[in-house]
Amino acid sequence: MDLSQYAELFRTETRDHLTTLNRLLLEWEQQPESPEPVAGIFRAVHTIKGMAATMGYARVADLAHRAETLLDAFRQSRRAVTEAELELLFKTADALEELVTASVGGREQSVDVTPLLEALDGAAAQGRPGEAARGRRRISFVAAPAGAGKKVDVILSPDSPLKGARAMLVLQRVATLGTVHAVEPAPAAIEGEAFDGHLAFRLETGADAASIEREVRLAGDVERVVVESTEGAAAEAVGEGVRTRHVRVDLRRLDILMNVIGELVTARGRVEHLADRLRDPDLTDGVATLSTLTARLQQEIIQARMTPVWQVFDRFPRLVRDLSRQLGKQVTFRVEGKEIELDRAILDEIGDPLVHLLRNAVDHGIETPDARTAAGKPPTGQVVLAALRDRGTVVIVVSDDGRGIDRTRVLGEARRRGVVDAGATELPDDLLLRVLSRSGFSTVGEVSEVSGRGVGVDVVVTRLRELGGSVEVKSTEGAGTTFTLRLPPTLAIVQALLARVGDERYALPLTHVAETVELSTGAVTEIDGREALMVRDRLLPLVRLRRVLAIAGDPPARQPVVVLQLGDRRTGLVIDRMEGQREIVVKTFAPPKGTLPIFSGATVLGDGQPVLILDAGGLV
Amino acid sequence: MSHTVLVCDDAIFMRTMIADILAQAGYEVVGEAESGVQACEKYKQLKPDLVTMDIVMPDMGGIDAVREIVKFDPSARILMCSAMGQQALVVEAIQAGAKDFVVKPFQPSRVLEAVQRVLG
Repeated sequence: MDLSQYAELFRTETRDHLTTLNRLLLEWEQQPESPEPVAGIFRAVHTIKGMAATMGYARVADLAHRAETLLDAFRQSRRAVTEAELELLFKTADALEELVTASVGGREQSVDVTPLLEALDGAAAQGRPGEAARGRRRISFVAAPAGAGKKVDVILSPDSPLKGARAMLVLQRVATLGTVHAVEPAPAAIEGEAFDGHLAFRLETGADAASIEREVRLAGDVERVVVESTEGAAAEAVGEGVRTRHVRVDLRRLDILMNVIGELVTARGRVEHLADRLRDPDLTDGVATLSTLTARLQQEIIQARMTPVWQVFDRFPRLVRDLSRQLGKQVTFRVEGKEIELDRAILDEIGDPLVHLLRNAVDHGIETPDARTAAGKPPTGQVVLAALRDRGTVVIVVSDDGRGIDRTRVLGEARRRGVVDAGATELPDDLLLRVLSRSGFSTVGEVSEVSGRGVGVDVVVTRLRELGGSVEVKSTEGAGTTFTLRLPPTLAIVQALLARVGDERYALPLTHVAETVELSTGAVTEIDGREALMVRDRLLPLVRLRRVLAIAGDPPARQPVVVLQLGDRRTGLVIDRMEGQREIVVKTFAPPKGTLPIFSGATVLGDGQPVLILDAGGLV
Repeated sequence: MSHTVLVCDDAIFMRTMIADILAQAGYEVVGEAESGVQACEKYKQLKPDLVTMDIVMPDMGGIDAVREIVKFDPSARILMCSAMGQQALVVEAIQAGAKDFVVKPFQPSRVLEAVQRVLG
């Protein structure tokens, strides 16, 4: 049997069980006296063992088996777990993860877990309760006068696993034919390790030897049966049939499908455009049906790609725990909105940025218990990771109630590097993010082992922009820092506004569009050399796309303003004309050097014209 | 008519593999359950010819599920799926009414032999 086809499924599912394992270990750590988490932990390890053995990954199975033995002792005794034992189990979880990855990659031998195996065995030997305490139920057979009934000798196949259980099956089967006496060895010994698969008993029955033998053989794994004759029943041939019920889908296939559907959407747009021009009723009808079907197809495939965020979030509690211990901090970590869904491709990409932000929160945000107490705060800090849905986008928030970002220090560094004016004395949140996201910018004096050099906010901002999302930061000294990431729920197909400026058209994803207003010249004022429009008693800074793109000529008399919103920051983008809302298929590109940093990709419209996609993050 | 089977295991991996082995041999997998509770519900609903039952599962373990199913249908044919080192549990399952067992790692031929024995 070719097992390679199951390798990916094995890895995915093992990962889920490891996540569960870590989560429950954390729970157990919180309440070491509770017997509750043990059952789940045991189950996770046990399942991994079974799957690994089936895949032929002996090392994984062996490690899981030994951990299981230790865990079984806890299940039996229901005693509290010690810190050392928990640490050992955490290490086991890590080692299992490493071994699984290595095994799937064909490098099982490259990981040596011998010391861990020994430690597990040692711990299990210490914690094992006496055999009497286990209270196992056993089959007991009535003792009967020797010599009654027919003598039956059964020898099980040498390679039969769990011979004791097999022997029990034999006994149970023959018990349907009559009464069983004088079982040798005794039932207790049959269940023992030393049982060699040779079983003898007497059966008081009216059945003939052939029937007895048939019944014994039906228990399986029987090599020889001696009753009064040795006629055997031939094994029946296994019927062959071809039928598959399951479909496992590789993510790459979904990617291909998504691309094809993307092209289909583009082609549909082109046909719609043609139909609009030709105005043939039959064609219009046909195209309308085509549009509905394409939309449904697209919806389905997008749905198939949607994955709940817990698949990434679930590994973070362990990360935060390990970090806070390593740094001597007390942290309560809360995760909210685990069920919110994101496109698998986006979810895969945000793992690293979130690790950065969480590390920062624990390492630089949360203070030591002493420092917190001195500042009049509870000694235990809070870190929250929350996902929520907001107007067609998904928002992920990482916040802590730590010391906040040291603005004076950041401002000093920014002035020194010329990022802000030498005379600047204030650093509002939006400027703070811009300074922090300068590549390699460091707010940390010393090199921290945990977060590396610098904060790595640049990495977060860059990644989010690549995904068509945005980042905001809010920080209050002494009270904490909150990073807000805003993401489109899917990558490839987004709703966009078509904006015309001069002879060119540009697409503006709706993710960051709050509203559109009319530029009524009277309300434009100028503040600090920047134009602003008074909208409902609020000043809206303006960016004239014509000016940004250096387009010559006069703008039309009436110009619309698209209000872009990134968190609390709003900017009005002045364009020439709006050409409606379109569904666009995003193609990311690496812009050539010297390109204005305001484009995030390109798309092809229904009429076959390529159009650049504007990046709200670069404009606001 | 092919025999109908209900596959109970908390691991999709295991369920998929067992279902594949059985389907390729012409059995009809009519349902899957991922917990003991679900196994009982599905048994009552589907009344399959055969149940493959993992021993360690959430909610209700395989052995309790065997008891529950046998109480509902004394002629139920249940095949236990066990790992090495679970002899005591397998014996308990047999006492509870399981008809046979297979041991992980599964070899398709062994699984099919056991299925045939159970289906008689």
